[in-house]
Amino acid sequence: MHDLPGARMTCQELQEMFELYALGVLERDEKAEIDAHLARGCANCHQALADALALNAGVLSFAPAVAPPRRLKRRLLTSVGVHYPGWGWVWAIGAVCLLLVAAWLGVEERRRSFELADARRALLDSNSERDRLTQALQFLSDPQTVPASFGKGQTAPPRGYVFLHPQMGVLLIASNLPAAGPGKTYEMWVIPKGGTPRPAGLFQSAGMRALYILNGPVDVSMIGTVAVTLEPAAGSTTPTMPILIAAPVGS
Amino acid sequence: MLVFKLLPVGLAFGILQVALRLADDADLVRRLKAHEPKAMNDLYDRYGRLTYSLIFRIVRNASTAEDLVQETFLRVWNRVQSFDGERGALGAWMLTVARNRAIDHLRSIDGRMEAGAMDLDQLERPGLFAKLDSTALAIDRARRLKSAFEKLTPTQRQVIELAYYEGMSQTEMAERLKQPLGTVKTWTRSALKVLRDELAEVAIA
Repeated sequence: MHDLPGARMTCQELQEMFELYALGVLERDEKAEIDAHLARGCANCHQALADALALNAGVLSFAPAVAPPRRLKRRLLTSVGVHYPGWGWVWAIGAVCLLLVAAWLGVEERRRSFELADARRALLDSNSERDRLTQALQFLSDPQTVPASFGKGQTAPPRGYVFLHPQMGVLLIASNLPAAGPGKTYEMWVIPKGGTPRPAGLFQSAGMRALYILNGPVDVSMIGTVAVTLEPAAGSTTPTMPILIAAPVGS
Repeated sequence: MLVFKLLPVGLAFGILQVALRLADDADLVRRLKAHEPKAMNDLYDRYGRLTYSLIFRIVRNASTAEDLVQETFLRVWNRVQSFDGERGALGAWMLTVARNRAIDHLRSIDGRMEAGAMDLDQLERPGLFAKLDSTALAIDRARRLKSAFEKLTPTQRQVIELAYYEGMSQTEMAERLKQPLGTVKTWTRSALKVLRDELAEVAIA
């Protein structure tokens, strides 16, 4: 134990405070004590500070993984004057290919142009689907996620699950859900306990299945039910009966 | 249930990410000091997702998180000359700078700067990280620490999250939780002791 002249607290007493000191959340008088010990070159306190910084870094690394947007890297590198090649060469090759394809399309005319458009749309859909599945996996693997189910025991489903996460939002996975039909869409509703339904986004069903994610923080403890109704294509501000899916939360 | 089957996979993936980041930080610091163009690219590849996740957890806004990640990397880029790459833990420094930028932002919008909050600049000086074990985020430490964190009581976990992710002093926590200051201090002290003891066991092993 290192008692220092002029200090009110001993090194031993300060040991429990270094994590909070390193986080900058210590009260002024306690901070002043540690500053005094460190300024006097107290080896024990310097080691305790290093240990606290390591512990703090470990705790900070627990934050749930969230993928940054791709543009952030380009923006960052540009800000330090670094040319960011990224996938530009891929696009350059793609552009050359598109020119060749365009020339070829001159011969093949419209049939080929439709094929190319279809292929590009499929690629975009595939990327979008992959991103959605990655996000869904994050819901499922996070310990804060609260699951709820619907349609169990019904002879005429839809059936499935709803997953609620306080930071990520709401994930809905449904099966046996037929296509909404022309001019119609499915609309999800978040119904607070004792409150009125709030619109939570529009989605479609494909191949009798649907996966929809409402992004953004939600207060899981306040949500009583997550529901789905069939609405006009532009959606509604209040649900049109009947309720097709109702998943009670926390039951 | 599917959720519980996937949990070990998610944890393993996270640990694997941390382990991969440990590789060759010293060489990366050397290249950052030389301001090699590819070094910033590699720094982002190694720590971009981790810092974005942390900052997003704190500010809960994607646009603000992007700004603060950029600020974090620029700060490291501009101050890396003072960082001891042979002895220091780059990941711990990155996380500290990222967290402090986010907390500074929270404090600025909450008006807590005048409330006596410490200047976080002095707590992220590169020199402070010279004595850190470069394995501060090593696979075994991260796993053990995470396991210890999950064993904390709800109140212990809450005060840890308020301090780490909201930058609250114990007085502010007591006001937020409507609990006596002494109670909050007891929760905080006992929670940190659990985590500290776990790391000490790792060190002994």
